[in-house]
Amino acid sequence: MSAVAAKPAAGSAMNPGAMAVGIILTLILVGICYVMSPGVGLMALIGVIIGGVLIGFGTHFVPVGGAPAAMGQAPGIATGVAMLATGAGVAGLFGGAWAAETLPATMDPMMQLIIVVCAGAVGGGLMMAITCMMVNFLYVFGMGIPPASGKVANDPITGDSQAEYKSQGTEGHGLPFVSFVGGVIGGTLGGAGGTLIYFELLVLYENALPGLMNVTAAQVMPIAVSAAGMFAVGLFLVNAVLTAYNITGTIEGPHDPKFKRWPRSIVASAVASALCGLVAVLIVMPLPI
Amino acid sequence: MSVKVEVIEGGVPHNTILIAGVVSTLVCIYLTYLNVVTQTEMFSFFGGLAVVAALVWGSHTIKVLCSYGIGTGVPSAGMIAFGSGVIAMLYATRFGMLAPVVALILAAIIGLVLGWVSNNILNMKIPAMVQALTEMAVVGALTLMGFAALITGTFGFEGLTTGTVTMFGMTLLTHQNSFIGGCLIAVAFLLGAIAIQHPFNACLGPGWTQDRMLMLTAECAFLSMIVAAIMSFALISAGSAIISLVIAIIGWVYTYKEYMALSKRDAHSWLDSKPIPDVEGQ
Repeated sequence: MSAVAAKPAAGSAMNPGAMAVGIILTLILVGICYVMSPGVGLMALIGVIIGGVLIGFGTHFVPVGGAPAAMGQAPGIATGVAMLATGAGVAGLFGGAWAAETLPATMDPMMQLIIVVCAGAVGGGLMMAITCMMVNFLYVFGMGIPPASGKVANDPITGDSQAEYKSQGTEGHGLPFVSFVGGVIGGTLGGAGGTLIYFELLVLYENALPGLMNVTAAQVMPIAVSAAGMFAVGLFLVNAVLTAYNITGTIEGPHDPKFKRWPRSIVASAVASALCGLVAVLIVMPLPI
Repeated sequence: MSVKVEVIEGGVPHNTILIAGVVSTLVCIYLTYLNVVTQTEMFSFFGGLAVVAALVWGSHTIKVLCSYGIGTGVPSAGMIAFGSGVIAMLYATRFGMLAPVVALILAAIIGLVLGWVSNNILNMKIPAMVQALTEMAVVGALTLMGFAALITGTFGFEGLTTGTVTMFGMTLLTHQNSFIGGCLIAVAFLLGAIAIQHPFNACLGPGWTQDRMLMLTAECAFLSMIVAAIMSFALISAGSAIISLVIAIIGWVYTYKEYMALSKRDAHSWLDSKPIPDVEGQ
């Protein structure tokens, strides 16, 4: 089929049949995991799926401007969805990984999980807050444009009117208050999701790898950390790019009409995370052949 | 969303590149198995050649996919390729001798599901999507396996997680000094991801020509191979690493010269600008 015949119409339409198939596929993958590795493996897979869904949902809050934003013709941060989601997630992952290293081993596992995920969330949210603030500094003091939304008449949070500040011929510019808040919420959710994936896999590998490789728990730490980190980054990128495909280009934040597409993204992230997470869990299981 | 139309005019058809890419990548990765047969590490450089072959194929796949306006930028395609590829590659290393084939099959399954998800659940409805994401996941997995073979001389889980460190004349087994334990895989990941997305991003537009883009890909791939060959000094014998490094440098110089020649061929006109002229005394 040639490029001429193609009519990509990624509108806001939902595809209920495909979404149902997606949910069934997710349940089948969870079922396979339950058969292959009940208990600790299943827990890890469920954590990975929740983390992936958090990333997919959180990315919709982030104000992504793309190339038009770099020219001051659209609101948002001037880069792509995948880059912003990855930045927030990896920043959060570093925060969470640091927390996981410093916690005493005697602590209650549930408490550990909560602290680690919170640390990741704060890391991701902080990264997005700093990015949003510096972007606004550049827009206001560098390019000399006021933040104004093109999608809504009044800012949903502050109630400030936007139309007077919007330049003609643009879709708005800068980061209005609601986009800033959306960015921080998105970064928080993305950081929490990325850290949840990392921590669940880390606990699984720490428990399972020593038996598999016939080495002590201390020797296996570098491999557990590195493998969990790589799987977390891989899962993060897959979820971020799928969300980017859902948004198709730019989004202003939670007030943008495109935000209503989030159910599609949640199902897509659940399927992708279940499949990739299953592979990540199976790596520590004895080989089927 | 508009459709950016860039029909391939002339040049090698995509399916030919696809078949040549799969075969040459797999053959090159398996040639590193000569290391085990001959009990040396001299054949590690075949891993780097596998990387070059896989990336040339992958960048053409990105061209096929991104000719449709997917609205997310070309780099995202490289990111999903390696994001899904690293998962398949890490699992496949468990299968020893079969690892490259398992990586290919598993990555194809992951890519197929991701393509289906994008086209149906996310309603992208792009005809090339499923095939392109499948190919890209395979490219990501095989590129990482090529890097692993180049840096460590092997592609099995044992070899990638175990290294040796010499201390006071004693040789100790360690897991920190290894491809996965030392997280060299993260560097390999980004070396590949940048090399795969850059060529089409740099060459796209009305003046796109296939041979120029593929030559740029080979140039980027050899540049990545130089870095990976330097990293391989840590894990394989110095002589073997020097062989990889020399081959990478020769390949890079050749492809760079070829790419410059092709760029000058495709340019309307060009001026060999000199450094800032010395205006003293005027």
